[in-house]
Amino acid sequence: MVAKCGRGRMSLWLTIVLVPSVSLGQQPAANLESLEEQAFKEASAVVAPSVVRIQTVGGLDRVGRVLTGTAATTGVVVSADGYVISSAFNFASRPASVLVTLADGRRFPAKIIANDWSRMLTLLKIEAEGLSVPRVAPRDGFRVGQWAIAMGRTYESPLPNLSVGIISALDRIWGRALQTDAKISPANYGGPLVDIRGQVIGVLVPLSQRQAGRTAGVEWYDSGIGFAIPMADILGTLPRLKTGTDLLPGLMGITLRAGNVYASAAIIDRVRFNSPAEKAGLQPGDVIANVDGQPIRRLVQVRNVLGNKYAGDTISVVVRRGEESVEQKIQLIGKLEPYTPTFLGILPARRKQGEAATGVVVRGILPESPAAMAMIRPGDTVVQLDDTPVTDSAGLFDAISRRRVGADVTVHVDRNGARQKISAKLAVLPTQVPAVLESQIIAAPDPKPADLPTIGRFNKDLAGHDNNFWGFVPETYNPAHGYGLVVWIHPGSDTMEADIYDLWKPICEQRGLILVGPRAKELAGWNLNEAGFIEALVKEMQQKYNIDDQRIVLHGYSNGCRFAYHLAFKYRTLFRGVAASSEPLKVTPPENRPDLRLQFFLSCGDKDNLYRRVQQTRGRLAAMKFPVTLSTEPGLGHEYPTLPVLDEIGRWIDLLDRI
Amino acid sequence: MIHRILTIVSLLLLSLTWCPSIAHGQSIQPTIQRVQQRTVKVFGAGGIRRLHAYSTGFVVSRQGHVATVWSHVLDTEELTVVLADGRKVRAKVLGAEPQLDLAVLELQDKELDLPAWDLEADVSDAGPGTRVLGFSNMFRVATGDEMVSVLHGVVAAKAPLATRRGAFESSYEGTAFIVDAVTNNPGAGGGVLVTRAGRLLGMIGKELRNSESNTWVNYAVPISELKQPIQQIIAGKYRARQRDPDETNAVARFRPLQFGIVLVPDVLFRTPAFIDGVQPGSAAARAGLQPDDLILFINGDLVQSCRVFKQSLGRIDAGTVLKLTVRRGDKLLPVELPVPETPDTPETPKKPEKPEKPATAGDTK
Repeated sequence: MVAKCGRGRMSLWLTIVLVPSVSLGQQPAANLESLEEQAFKEASAVVAPSVVRIQTVGGLDRVGRVLTGTAATTGVVVSADGYVISSAFNFASRPASVLVTLADGRRFPAKIIANDWSRMLTLLKIEAEGLSVPRVAPRDGFRVGQWAIAMGRTYESPLPNLSVGIISALDRIWGRALQTDAKISPANYGGPLVDIRGQVIGVLVPLSQRQAGRTAGVEWYDSGIGFAIPMADILGTLPRLKTGTDLLPGLMGITLRAGNVYASAAIIDRVRFNSPAEKAGLQPGDVIANVDGQPIRRLVQVRNVLGNKYAGDTISVVVRRGEESVEQKIQLIGKLEPYTPTFLGILPARRKQGEAATGVVVRGILPESPAAMAMIRPGDTVVQLDDTPVTDSAGLFDAISRRRVGADVTVHVDRNGARQKISAKLAVLPTQVPAVLESQIIAAPDPKPADLPTIGRFNKDLAGHDNNFWGFVPETYNPAHGYGLVVWIHPGSDTMEADIYDLWKPICEQRGLILVGPRAKELAGWNLNEAGFIEALVKEMQQKYNIDDQRIVLHGYSNGCRFAYHLAFKYRTLFRGVAASSEPLKVTPPENRPDLRLQFFLSCGDKDNLYRRVQQTRGRLAAMKFPVTLSTEPGLGHEYPTLPVLDEIGRWIDLLDRI
Repeated sequence: MIHRILTIVSLLLLSLTWCPSIAHGQSIQPTIQRVQQRTVKVFGAGGIRRLHAYSTGFVVSRQGHVATVWSHVLDTEELTVVLADGRKVRAKVLGAEPQLDLAVLELQDKELDLPAWDLEADVSDAGPGTRVLGFSNMFRVATGDEMVSVLHGVVAAKAPLATRRGAFESSYEGTAFIVDAVTNNPGAGGGVLVTRAGRLLGMIGKELRNSESNTWVNYAVPISELKQPIQQIIAGKYRARQRDPDETNAVARFRPLQFGIVLVPDVLFRTPAFIDGVQPGSAAARAGLQPDDLILFINGDLVQSCRVFKQSLGRIDAGTVLKLTVRRGDKLLPVELPVPETPDTPETPKKPEKPEKPATAGDTK
């Protein structure tokens, strides 16, 4: 909970409305204030008959990590014949029954007609006639600084509850919402934001720029940052919602080249296969110049224009390709086909510090892979893929990830000083872990450098954080080589340090891994806000040691995995894998990204009560095309995996950088 | 986040330097001075396990009586009150009303002659939209002889804090001023909520979480509720209220089967109260209830699950009329059932044998 000292605030616009004929300097302030207060009350009284109370019965008690409330929430009448708009948050628990109580006390069962998953609204219908429809404030009249009154009907009181603030900003959350500093919370989600004349500006909803979902943005309740969807926009989509079809945010299937969103031009980086963009012929490298009549100069403008579009909408896109300008009509869709990771079949040699990047030396070839079939051999150096020159494994991975499964590629390799062109057909990234996998042995440095960081087993604090951690670095640590990093996320109430150290020490030595074991602040378990500590810890390890970015994995057991999954999804650029033992996945993972590979290794005993749900987790991840391996231990209950499975995890980590 | 808001606010102030917000501030200066003179900081027990050792109080007599919130802070012999002018005075608890979260302190220096609130003449009432100011020692930001912090907002609602089901884990259950400013912070309890004209509305309560919406709620207990106990405690005539024994013992008086209602198996945390079966010849059958009816209201209160229905049924009075509203298809139907004269009291040791029919799956506890 945050307390803020208020400051005086006033809008010129409003003052003129209220006291048009009196010069401001002479107006007694107290009189002005009481006039304003009167205006708040009158404005809310004008809209009150259209503000309804919504109660729900049954449903989930928890959605993701948010406890869903059972308190009454709010809705706004949008047509005299019984349509009511509200916030989708109010129905996050998927209630069995919804009840609407009108301002006059009449009560009706309500049907959920449709949801708008872009603006997070839900349309309800009750069998009533002659309802009071509020006046709508024109969209072009919104001014930052004007009074805004938030209304709800959460309390058992004949009068709606109010919070008074101003409009803080327009066109927030990619153009979908306006922002207010009135206190917005479950007490008024779904209720109207009203101007001083008693016209509805918009409908209050929780929103977040970073997350989607019904409960996203709730953490900002009562903070002075609240959002409302303009009522004028809602009326525009109302006819479509009334037909009973859910509205989804419109997607065309492109990603833009990374850059400063406020400065860089919008250059297409990737075009998703089978997406509307691909069908329209958009290509990587195209510069987006115009979307739907809006000139685009910066990355962020594309998001702002698309933020207001729904699946099914057709937009016009103008791109510059070299000298020419191409215009296309594109019909947006709601769901893209998931990306399937591609595979050539080589294990790249891991470069030593200071070695020149002149291509990818092949350390090994995976059996039955496209590379094996095409007779690429260990010792070959890959220097080019089709037209793309390749200098290091990151470049080769990028090139492969831009091609689709089944694509024919030409691999240029240097073999014994001669260049050869080899044809191969890309396959799906396999998920089985071979029974034997030779590791790339790292020799101890000779002579031993003087400034070697801590090796062996250690305990440490991290500056600026309350948590501490333990770790293990092989005694033979050689800073010239990149090491994999295993971040052990212990389960609640047991850090398992002694066991983990004993079991993992030989694997770390064999596979060239460093192990760190962060400790939760409260032994009982991890709190999600400790994620920042784990991120800082990984960055600290990257700074102190030579860590191979491609092999940073989270390893969890039992309920520790929940935090491990959370970290993996929160820090997509940091973690390349999750090895989760005896715990299903309970949250919805983000979309699989071609540029950031995230792989999963699940293990579970077949006598574990959770085994079926772990199997379902595998199915869920596989359906989203994430590479996922499931290792079943016969006869094992809810216990930490045994050595053979840990060995398999070691091999899986050693394979994470396969291409 | 906060910085951004402050930037917006300061930009507004900068661009409109002539704007009435200055006059705005001036108009409440007398109020702020007057209220701060009457507000004190209370320091006592706490400081461990994240319990704050400070709170706020307001002066209610010239002889040095201070009303404050009843909390762990007062649980010490070493109670100190810091007056508006910075003087430190020892204090002791004169009396308390835990059900109102109210305590009255007596300052140990008799010669103070402090500016004090007149609980008759200075008090007012307010409804939603009324602009208010909150004064408190929140987060102990006011150190030494510094004045307490002032927040502004409007009354969001004047509504009961607690329903019978205990939406709030609060000992105070009456009507409260709910405000749209974040007034209820650590140490803010015992502060005051006033109108901009300086009329006293209520005493800021403790930090309180609304268990129905899982959000923090900011509220003040109306002075109209506190006036009498404060005056009686000062006069030495106060007797703390007794809790309603029915509420504390919570004897389950009636069960669904007594009305012939068989509920669906209660398998979820919030299983909707669907009727699974109606016993022939029972009160439910005579009232026309049918399987698949969803019970939505019991005596006007929403029933969100089987559990809540059973709890509510346990509290009704013998010999009255049970009013239910059920949803059948798209219709809401009101029905009335007579409540038997004798409650079902299986827990009473005097009646060891269960008088009821054997429990069915729909009657799980």
